[in-house]
Amino acid sequence: MDRLPPPFVLIEEGANGLRIAAASRSARKAGISPGLAFTDAKARAPHLLYEEIDRDADRQALRALAVWMIRFAPLVGLDGEDGLMLETTGCAHLYGGEAAMLEEISAILAREGIAHRTGLASTPVAAAALAQARSGQVLPEGEESTGLADLPITALRLTEEAETLLRRFGLTRIGQLYGIDRKALARRFQSRDAADAVMIRLDQALGLRHDPLKPLRPEPAKTARLNCPDPLASSEAITLGLEQLTETLCTDLQAFGQGARGFTLHAFRADGTSDSVEITAARPVRTPQHILNLFSERIDQIDPGFGIDLLLLEAHRAGAMDTSAVALSGDLAASDTDIVALAALCDRITAKLGEGVIRVHQRVESHRPERAEQDRAFTGTLPEEDTPAPQAGPRPIRIFAAPERVQVLAEVPDGPPLRFIWRRIARTVIRADGPERISPEWWTYTAAPPAAPSQAGTARKWLTPKLDPRADADLIIETRQFWEGMDTGDRVKNLPRARDYYRVEDAEGRRYWLFREGLYEDGRGGPPEWFVHGLFA
Amino acid sequence: MESNALPSALSSLGLFRLQPETRPRDIAFPLGLGEAGVHEVCETSYGDMPALTGFALAARTYRPGTVFWITQHHQRLDHGALLQGGMPALSAAPPKLVSAVTSKGLDALWTVEEAIRSNAVAAVIAEIEDMDFTASRRLALASARHGVPLILLMPYTREGATAASARWRVRAHPSAPNPYDARAPGWPRWQAVLERSRQAPHMAGQSFDLELNDETLSLSVVSGLAADPSAAGKASFANRFAPPANPEPETRQTRRYG
Repeated sequence: MDRLPPPFVLIEEGANGLRIAAASRSARKAGISPGLAFTDAKARAPHLLYEEIDRDADRQALRALAVWMIRFAPLVGLDGEDGLMLETTGCAHLYGGEAAMLEEISAILAREGIAHRTGLASTPVAAAALAQARSGQVLPEGEESTGLADLPITALRLTEEAETLLRRFGLTRIGQLYGIDRKALARRFQSRDAADAVMIRLDQALGLRHDPLKPLRPEPAKTARLNCPDPLASSEAITLGLEQLTETLCTDLQAFGQGARGFTLHAFRADGTSDSVEITAARPVRTPQHILNLFSERIDQIDPGFGIDLLLLEAHRAGAMDTSAVALSGDLAASDTDIVALAALCDRITAKLGEGVIRVHQRVESHRPERAEQDRAFTGTLPEEDTPAPQAGPRPIRIFAAPERVQVLAEVPDGPPLRFIWRRIARTVIRADGPERISPEWWTYTAAPPAAPSQAGTARKWLTPKLDPRADADLIIETRQFWEGMDTGDRVKNLPRARDYYRVEDAEGRRYWLFREGLYEDGRGGPPEWFVHGLFA
Repeated sequence: MESNALPSALSSLGLFRLQPETRPRDIAFPLGLGEAGVHEVCETSYGDMPALTGFALAARTYRPGTVFWITQHHQRLDHGALLQGGMPALSAAPPKLVSAVTSKGLDALWTVEEAIRSNAVAAVIAEIEDMDFTASRRLALASARHGVPLILLMPYTREGATAASARWRVRAHPSAPNPYDARAPGWPRWQAVLERSRQAPHMAGQSFDLELNDETLSLSVVSGLAADPSAAGKASFANRFAPPANPEPETRQTRRYG
C-alpha cells in the first residue's frame, strides 16, 4: 500500500467562520470536501495541513497560462475558475492530429508540473465534461451523444442544487437525460429557470445550442508563427525571427488587399512564460520595413530568459488599405502633406513614447474658449479646414486649460482691474480692450428645481399624484413645506456665470486675456472673480 | 579678425582661395528663420514665451505642408497650450499643425530629430528647455541634411555654445498705439536681439524692433520705435473713468502715427 501524502487544504473566510475552499486527494479520502467548516475538518484529520487561499493569485496564474496557451491556438478563453478553453479548429494539423495535439499539451503542462486534465470535443461543454470525467480523451465530431452518455451528470458542471435534485430522481448519467420529458422535469424543479439551466447545458454539450467561446484576447485578423527548435536567446535573434514573420504576415495581408493597424508579437519561452509587445499604427500598414522600425524600439522589452521557442506575430484591426498612387509632383497633389509619411512618423513616435503623444487640434462647437478647441489623438487624418471660425473677439495664442485666478489690487466697477497679481507678481494694466461677454452654455447643465411660487398648489408636481390628500393631509403639508423651504429665494450657488473677457497690456508690454467671472449682483454666488485665461503674443 | 585677414591676403595674391569671394546674399531681417537651419529663439525673461510664439509664427510664412509642434506637459501648464483660434491674428496663412506632447526633455529632442528625418513635415517648432552642444550639433546636421527648418523656443536660462545658425532673444514690447482707441492695445510689437549668427556674424548684437500689422499681417522692422508709448497710454487709461482733462497727449499721438 502506497503512503498518501498528509492531507492538505486551502481555507477561506466564510460567513460563519473558516471554510475549506479546496482539498487535496488525501484530504478528500479523509472525508474533507470543499465547503466543510474548518473546525469539522480539523476534527476529521487532526494533522491537517492548511493554508489560506489566494484567489487573485490563482486567477492571475490562470490568465498567464491562458496567454501562454496562445502558442497552441489563437483563441483562448477562461472556463470558470480553473479551466481553459482552446478553440483548436484548424490548428490540430500542426501537431499531427487532435490526439497528438492533446498529448503535446499534456506533456508540456506535465513538464511544468501543472496538474491538469484534458478533453477535446466539438462543443465546449462536451470538452469540459470529458476533461472532468475522462481525461485525455478525444471525442470525434458528431458522436457527442454516444460519447457523453456514460459520463456522470456532475461532468456537466451544474449547480449543486440541480445535481442533488437529479441524483434524488435517480438520474446520474448524462445519457439518462436524453429522452426525458422536459416539461415533467421542469415541474420537479423549484423554478423553471433552474430546469432550463440543466437542459441548456445539455443542449450546449450536444451542439444543439450555440455556445460561443469568450476569448481572452480579440481574435487576430492574421497570424504568422515561427517555431524555433533551437531556442532564441538574444535580441538580435528575436529581430531576425521578427523579420521573417513580418515578411510572411505582410505577404498574407497583401494577398487579401489589406493592411493592419495593430501588431502584437508574442514570445513564448521554453519555461512556460511569455512576453508580448504591441505596436499600433495610425493608418493600416503592411510595409515590412515600417513594422520592423516600430518594433525596433520595443524588442528589448522582451526578456529571452532561458530561450524563446516560439514567436507569434498577430495582425489586429485589419482594414482596406488606401493604395492610391503618389502624385507626380507636389503641385498636382490634392494635399500638400504626404499623409503616409506623416502617419509613419507618428507611428514611430507613438511606438516609443506611448499612445496619445501625437495630437491634432479639433474645433468643437462650444462658446467656452477652453472647450472650443480640443486635442484629439492623431488617427491618420488631419482635421478638415473647411469650416470658417465663428466670428469672435480677439483670441490669444496661448491658453490655459484651467483659468488661473488672479488677485485684484485696484478694481474699477465696469472695466478690467488697474493692478492685479498673477503668479505672485503685481502687474499694472496700461491699456485694455473689451469686454467680450461669453455667456454660459445653459443647455449643458441640469438646472436646479425652479423656485417654488408662492401660490399654494402650483408646486404640486413635486408630490406623487397617487397620494390621496384626505388620507394623509399632514404628510402632504409637511412635504410641501419641505420643498418650499428648500428653494425659497435662496440664490443658487452653482449656476454657471457669464464671463467678461478683456485684452489687457501691462507696463512691460505683455498682453493677457483676463476675464471676470460673473456680474455684480447676478445672484449666482458671491462677488465676481478674476482669472487669466490666456496670453497674447 | 586675424583669421579673416589671412585668407583674404592670400587670395589677393592669387595663391589659393579659401572661400568664394561673394557678398552675403540678401542678409535681411529673418536671416532664414523658419526657412533653413536651426534657429534658437530664447526668452529675455520669464514670461516672454507668448511673444516667442508670436515671433516664430509671424516672422515667416512657412512652406506649404504640416508644421510639427513639439512641447512638453509641464510647459503647457507653464505657458499655456497653443490655441489655433489665435493664429489668424498672427499669420496670413496659419500652418497646419500636428503636435507632440512628451513628458521628458530627452524624448522631446528625440522627437525633434525623428520629425526632421521623416521628410513628412514642412517645418519643426519645438519648445525645448535646454540641450548641450552635442545635441544642437546633431539637430543642426539633421536639419541641414534633410532641409527641414527647425525653430527652438527656449527659456531665458538658455546660454552657452550652440551649433544653431542663429540665436534670437525676444521680448514683448509695449504695443503700437491703437488708432481707433487710444486706451486699447494696438499692433503687437516685439524686440528681437540677434545674439549670434553663423550666416551673418557681423550682425550679432543687432536689435530689431518689430511690429506686426494686424491688417496685412506683415511683420516689419521699425527703426526707432517711439521712446515709450506706454507713458501716453498710461495717462489715458488712468483717465478712462474720469473726464478727459488734458487731451494733449492724444493729439500728439495722432500726429505722430497719423
